[in-house]
Amino acid sequence: MTTQTAPEGILVTTTSASTQTPPAARPPVTERSADGGSGSGTGSYEPPTPPRPRRLPSPIRPSAFGAEDVFLLVASAFSALCLVWIVFYQLTSLSGGLGFLVAWYFTFLALVWLGTTQLIERQVATDRVVGVVVVSAALLVIGLVLFIVVWVAYKALPSIHWVALFTKDQKNFQVADPNALSQVGILHAIVGTVEQVLIAVAIGVPFAVATAIYLNEVKGFGSRTVRTVVTAMSGTPSVVAGIFIYSMLILTGVLHYSGFAASLALVVILLPSVTRVVEEVLRVVPSGLREASQALGAPEWRTVWSVVLPTARSGVVTAVLLGIARIVGETAPLLFTAFGSQVMNLNAFSHDQASLPLVIWSDVRQAQPVLIDLAFQAAFVLMTLVLILFVLARIFSRPRGRKSGKRRGGNRPAEDDFMARIFVPIPIEESTDR
Amino acid sequence: MTTTLPPSSAPTDPDRPASFSGTHVLGEPGQIDADGVCAWFGGRIVLESVDLVMEKSKVTALIGPSGCGKSTFLRILNRMHEVVPGAQLAGSVELDGVDIYGPGQRAMETRRHIGMVFQKPNPFPAMTIAENVLAGLKFSRISPANKSDLIEESLTKGGLWNEVKDRLGELGGALSGGQQQRLCIARSLAVKPRVLLMDEPCSALDPTSTLRIEQTIKEIADEVTVVIVTHNMQQAQRVSDYCAFFLAEENQPGRVIESGRTEMIFGEPTDQRTFDYVNGQFG
Repeated sequence: MTTQTAPEGILVTTTSASTQTPPAARPPVTERSADGGSGSGTGSYEPPTPPRPRRLPSPIRPSAFGAEDVFLLVASAFSALCLVWIVFYQLTSLSGGLGFLVAWYFTFLALVWLGTTQLIERQVATDRVVGVVVVSAALLVIGLVLFIVVWVAYKALPSIHWVALFTKDQKNFQVADPNALSQVGILHAIVGTVEQVLIAVAIGVPFAVATAIYLNEVKGFGSRTVRTVVTAMSGTPSVVAGIFIYSMLILTGVLHYSGFAASLALVVILLPSVTRVVEEVLRVVPSGLREASQALGAPEWRTVWSVVLPTARSGVVTAVLLGIARIVGETAPLLFTAFGSQVMNLNAFSHDQASLPLVIWSDVRQAQPVLIDLAFQAAFVLMTLVLILFVLARIFSRPRGRKSGKRRGGNRPAEDDFMARIFVPIPIEESTDR
Repeated sequence: MTTTLPPSSAPTDPDRPASFSGTHVLGEPGQIDADGVCAWFGGRIVLESVDLVMEKSKVTALIGPSGCGKSTFLRILNRMHEVVPGAQLAGSVELDGVDIYGPGQRAMETRRHIGMVFQKPNPFPAMTIAENVLAGLKFSRISPANKSDLIEESLTKGGLWNEVKDRLGELGGALSGGQQQRLCIARSLAVKPRVLLMDEPCSALDPTSTLRIEQTIKEIADEVTVVIVTHNMQQAQRVSDYCAFFLAEENQPGRVIESGRTEMIFGEPTDQRTFDYVNGQFG
């Protein structure tokens, strides 16, 4: 509560004064004035001016960007373009788009630095060049992702036949038919992918969570070795997972080509990635909670089941969703296990079964444009599926109770910090060998 | 003699009944006799021959400078010491004459009779306020006859009922730090322990919350024996009936220098070191 000297020299509290200023103008103070300062200050005051943010001198952060800074950047970009063009095509006989681009980028950085040094000062220039590098790296990544998405959509959407796509398989495909896309679809592949992924999750997730609990809660015999093995396992090329199941189960005659065999290969890939994420999530559950639970007389399994897992619940759900996103696009392990098929096979436990990645892989190499279109449509569906999974993961990773907005006060930094650490976006590694 | 403890996950004998349940009534305050208690961490002795009696229905405060083994001693009293890897102990701790480290005694059972409140408030964040209160019973697979009565009773004892009676369905983390700590006290009281151990329960709280917790301690002392570790001399004087002064001199394990009625420890201590400590001369 600040005090001010009124013109007459009487000390008046500003809160009491604020009762006569419009409440909308000063929301934080009106609430307090209701209980606090109605007694003092009997009218002789000047209405205080509402506070304004103070102007800070010479902003140098990249965020404080003005029109002239933008102009400097555009000018640098343009002059770099001209300069590199002259050097590239007029003075020397270099060629090649990529080299041109790289040369232009570095010239652009140099010009930004020179220009800012001249107009402002060196420190600001360095700051700005670093800023430009960081922003352009981010833009490059976003641009790449957007490019992939837009390009696949561009190849897929013009010829798409929605109804046939989701209701038919490929058995009615005729090369001569000009209207072939209304006769073929990828329902068999969607069914195959869903069945294989669900079976893989049903087998893999309990094992993964149990392994993570062993590593982090039980800390039993050989848990360091297990952790090393899990880490090494997550580096297994996915094609090796496929060969493993193929040679162990299919060549030996235990299983035939089937969706189930594909699921087993997917489990090999799912297991380490989910285990590692769940272990990270369990690790950030405060140990005080485990002690509190034990001090109440809970056995160890009870502590894990009723305290640790519920606390990490959304993290575990996120781990599972990200694990699904990881395996849903795997192609290599399916080649020798599900084998792929042109027709619908509802039974994942017998006979060859199609899947979205397999349809993409086999159709895009065909000579028929119709099948190439179908492959891109399957890719589009697959991408949409992964996108949905990621959105779900984001939704589930939001802590429970936040959205209700009923949390009182903001004085729990320790707990909030813990929540923030549990729900950090988890990095997922993309497999490189498709 | 050093007793090497089995790991806490070792299977316990299910046929043998836990001795407390047969001979004692839950909810009655109990007396703890510690006899020749020593403690080691990784082979290094940190506590040596502590003999201490914590009287029934009284509040006993353990005071002393940091690192003198107060908290270790407190954790020995309900078998939380053995959870720490590399921890060992010797001596005996008797609850109403039954050695809690005796053969066939289960750690879980002991902890149900000797509850504990920690330094940092730690309500279970995934549970509501009501679920937090009932957590201890859920863990022991006991379903109380009337849940809402028990919730009200426990929260009232914890001094929290009036503040939370309309929001029992909210998550435990939605409370302020002081309220969280009182929720933890209520949670410990809901299983009707005979002794409640408190490890610096107010050190993370503001003075107002501290005062509330001290009131709570005084109110529950009729029903449960309280042992409290505190660094706050005024707090020890305000809440405790008995006091024990722990001290670890340089390169030596912690020992009890002096123990007795609180007025005596603070008024006319017999040991010079106690006098120095309680009068703020060192530590």
